[in-house]
Amino acid sequence: MKQPETVYPDISDILKAKAERRRDIARRSFGEKIAMMEALRERVAPFKRLREQRRAAKRASASDNAP
Amino acid sequence: MKRPIAGAVAAHNYVESALTDDLDILIALEASQARPQSSLVMLGPLLTYLKSKGYSEFQREAILIEGWAVQFIPVASDLDAEALTKAEPVDLEINPAEGSIKTRVLRPEYIVATALRVNRAKDRNRIIQFLDDEAVDIDVLCDVLDRHGLGDAWRAFCRRTGIANPCEVKSTS
Repeated sequence: MKQPETVYPDISDILKAKAERRRDIARRSFGEKIAMMEALRERVAPFKRLREQRRAAKRASASDNAP
Repeated sequence: MKRPIAGAVAAHNYVESALTDDLDILIALEASQARPQSSLVMLGPLLTYLKSKGYSEFQREAILIEGWAVQFIPVASDLDAEALTKAEPVDLEINPAEGSIKTRVLRPEYIVATALRVNRAKDRNRIIQFLDDEAVDIDVLCDVLDRHGLGDAWRAFCRRTGIANPCEVKSTS
């Protein structure tokens, strides 16, 4: 028997709001954007640490497997 | 319940990502909630819960939570549904004093596939970053692209950006 097709919601209004947010950001002054970057750097620091740990493990694994 | 981090912040888990001030969270809705209606109606129960926790300030359609503009994005395709299911558990150390929190982040192959589907300039840049940094498993990526009907879009992307199609390189080597 054919499986019924999954019905997904229409999220176009969410995507439209996100695009408007991006345009708001683009209109900000250079100083505001720098401040945003500084704040972002702090907030995503845990992700950056994870990323660097993963890369270090990958490099170590590659050098262990090197002939 | 899985509610993985998506978008630019998820990309930060793998590559140095673009400027953003919002945090996208992918969520699955019950079939009864997924019928066509405004997102605020769809997300009503979740927003009511957050309001009870003291979070009721909005920036456009994002809700402010601890300084983040959080955007809940309902699963809207089979690709999203699979991305949510396969999201990677991570332990994020906030700082030594606060310790770690457990969360989930979309796997890189799904971030790339979603970027390809959306296909704006910033999405194409994101794909190139993931490829340059070898942050994706090519076999997994090619399988995801193939199964979700993105093979033609991928070949067009590779032609447009002048990169050797890693899926074809893999299959002919």
